[in-house]
Amino acid sequence: MNWKPLPPVLLLLSSAAAADVAVIANVRNPLDGLTGKQVQDIFLGRTRSFPNDRFALPIDQSSPLRSEFYQRLTGRSLEQINAYWARILFTGQASPPLRVPDDAAVLRTIRENEGAIGYIDKSQADGSVRVLLILP
Amino acid sequence: MKSDTTLMGCLLLAVAQLAQAEPPRLSLKGFGTAVAVGSNTDRIGFRRDLSQEVGARRHGGFDPDSRFGLQLDLDFGDAWHAGIQWVARSHPGDFVEQNLDWAYLRWRPRPDLDVRLGRLGFDVFWLSDYRNVGYAYPWIRPPHEFYGGIPAYHFDGADIAKKFGVGDGFLTVKVFGGRAFYQVPAALSQTFDSVSLLAGGSIVYEQGDWRARLGYVHTEAQSDPPLQGLVAALHDPRVRLLWPGGVAVADRFRVRGTVVQYSSLGLGYDDGSWLAQLEAAYIDSNLPFYPSGANGYLSLGRRVGPVTLYTLLGIAETFKDPVPVSQPLLPVPALVGFRDTVDAILNGNGIDQKSISLGVRWDLHENIALKAQWSHYWLGQNGTQLWQEPFLGSTPREVDLWSVGVDFLF
Repeated sequence: MNWKPLPPVLLLLSSAAAADVAVIANVRNPLDGLTGKQVQDIFLGRTRSFPNDRFALPIDQSSPLRSEFYQRLTGRSLEQINAYWARILFTGQASPPLRVPDDAAVLRTIRENEGAIGYIDKSQADGSVRVLLILP
Repeated sequence: MKSDTTLMGCLLLAVAQLAQAEPPRLSLKGFGTAVAVGSNTDRIGFRRDLSQEVGARRHGGFDPDSRFGLQLDLDFGDAWHAGIQWVARSHPGDFVEQNLDWAYLRWRPRPDLDVRLGRLGFDVFWLSDYRNVGYAYPWIRPPHEFYGGIPAYHFDGADIAKKFGVGDGFLTVKVFGGRAFYQVPAALSQTFDSVSLLAGGSIVYEQGDWRARLGYVHTEAQSDPPLQGLVAALHDPRVRLLWPGGVAVADRFRVRGTVVQYSSLGLGYDDGSWLAQLEAAYIDSNLPFYPSGANGYLSLGRRVGPVTLYTLLGIAETFKDPVPVSQPLLPVPALVGFRDTVDAILNGNGIDQKSISLGVRWDLHENIALKAQWSHYWLGQNGTQLWQEPFLGSTPREVDLWSVGVDFLF
């Protein structure tokens, strides 16, 4: 799509709309990082623990970043993710990740729970959480 | 039924005690489907599965596929969970009891181990415990040749599932057992209260976009169909005088103690754009009204944006030699009619069906999907058990079926 050089204002807008997504965990989480597949396994409920066998609590959010996150992580739309979870939820196997409103709420939850893992706009990540993966 | 009540009582007590220990996190969710389905014939009625009595015909209807489900989930910390699901759907059985598909307590002592006790979904094939959740699959309904033959939706008992990391994927091994009570439409009466004991298991391997499943279930019938009047008539001295061969088939109406075994394999692929799924099963049955058979389906789909186009091929064949039913010595009309009824009940339960379907799913909005599907069925002689058949008389060889509907979650 972007063959022609864009004016600087449009470039800024497009980078804002497609900000990097940071996958974050509690600072006390000893992991240095996770691969995309490992994050996918946790957020799709295939595993309920981190690679070091500690209990993982995935935190989802209701903002527009949700669609970006799943598209980049899994290549799937929210409709597909919801259909996937409908099968698991309505067969009594597991419930989808707990959902909080936005980045601020995710940050708060991650700081309070040692096993929590969430995602936020990369620009919101600070020293109070550990970044495990950047989804460009 | 007493053991069910005791089990449910124990579960309620356990849930109440858990609730005192820690305030539970409560969630109410649901799903629904409204589908209009119709065919090009009035000679046979389309039903979704054997649990239904009234099928859709030329003028169409909403009954076979429309349903509405509610699920209440209670979480007591990380280890304990209780769930209840009730699904309103059309069938002649008890509307309250038969529609309660899940009511269980789940214990998760470790992140990779689940133990559930209570009423659980009937997990015989891939989709069988979420047949009602249309939003979760692309088709308008689960493949008819494969899922139309299963009238049971749940059982009361327990299951244990353990997950293992194997290679890059996950292997889930599940075993279950219990007692199934379900009501199915029966010849010559309203419903047959069917009770069976069952035990089975499944192995599922998931890796990336691939999913494979092996399953096995063993069931043993504990009840007889309501045909005592018919069996008594076959033994009646006056009937035996004019139709001595009739009594020879009287034992064929016994169901109690007979065994049905379901073995299946499935393979699925979904990379977000392309999807493919196949399942094949062999059903080994000693049940006189449910002959042994094999069935399978293959589906391919392509997703472009919010639209999924799919095709589905299905086949089901029963293997059964007809039970010979002799003629009365004298052609007394009433007796010939009785003989034909006996013949129809014993021999009119085969399945010989193939179909091709083309369909589209359009994800209109998050949690709302519109679907449309056209199917063409080829039906063999004496092979229309999945449909609402005329009790006596001929059935069409080919049927076109159209369906349009909407699936939603909330």
